[in-house]
Amino acid sequence: GTRVDSGLVARYKSLQKEVSDLGEAEEKLDELINKSNLQLKLLTEDPQNKKLGYVMCQDLRSTVNPPEQIVMVVRAPPETQMQVSDPSEGYQISLKSSRGPIDVFLCPEDSSQLC
Amino acid sequence: IGLPTNSAQECQNLEVERQRRLERIKQKQSQLQELILQQIAFKKLVQRNRQVEQQTKRPPPPNSVIHLPFIIVNTSKKTVIDCSISNDKFEYLFNFDNMFEIHDDIEVLKRMGMACGLEVGKCSPEDLKIARSLVPKALEPYVTEMAQGSISNVYISGVSSNG
Repeated sequence: GTRVDSGLVARYKSLQKEVSDLGEAEEKLDELINKSNLQLKLLTEDPQNKKLGYVMCQDLRSTVNPPEQIVMVVRAPPETQMQVSDPSEGYQISLKSSRGPIDVFLCPEDSSQLC
Repeated sequence: IGLPTNSAQECQNLEVERQRRLERIKQKQSQLQELILQQIAFKKLVQRNRQVEQQTKRPPPPNSVIHLPFIIVNTSKKTVIDCSISNDKFEYLFNFDNMFEIHDDIEVLKRMGMACGLEVGKCSPEDLKIARSLVPKALEPYVTEMAQGSISNVYISGVSSNG
């Protein structure tokens, strides 16, 4: 069975190579993910960006279909818990914050700019 | 005779390991793509707002804008919403008599076109140029791949909807 052996050895070697290549690819991805996370953090925490990181009510309306729906905006502190009921048991959302009050408001329906 | 058996076993182990790594790489690829989308969308939003403020020469009235982060809940105009709120506004309970959808701000930004169509792999050459300019050099090749939709089969949209 030397033919079987050499076949197996070849397969073993190619698998080994592939696994090692995949390991490298994964490391590269890990590195990029870490960098991107940091980049995003710096980006969103920059005071100037924070000031400019907003949408208008019309923007929100443009993302729902049809646009004349009720659009409710929720702004909650980090770590706020949100629970959504199983649709078969009714349509319910509960919000629970531990770090500050939650702000909820409706987007006005007319095209006025104010929220 | 012992050797082939061992080799076969070792091959099988490697095969399992290969699958595992492929699976993890898939997940990490979509994680990276999502992070790229978020970067691009946020930067584009900031650019847009800066331009508008420069044109109008003043910031918008404070109660006309919604700062990130936020989520939106949308439902039909006919839906009756019953809402209970605790006194300190730490707890809310909403009851809807019909279906609703929940979207996070990133999903909203994508729908506003802030991700340059990359989220669906539909990106004009012009948009691609903008998108590439908004990420660090190391990520540019990924942006190009996303624009062509070549890894889009891996990417699953982060929409959280319900109802």
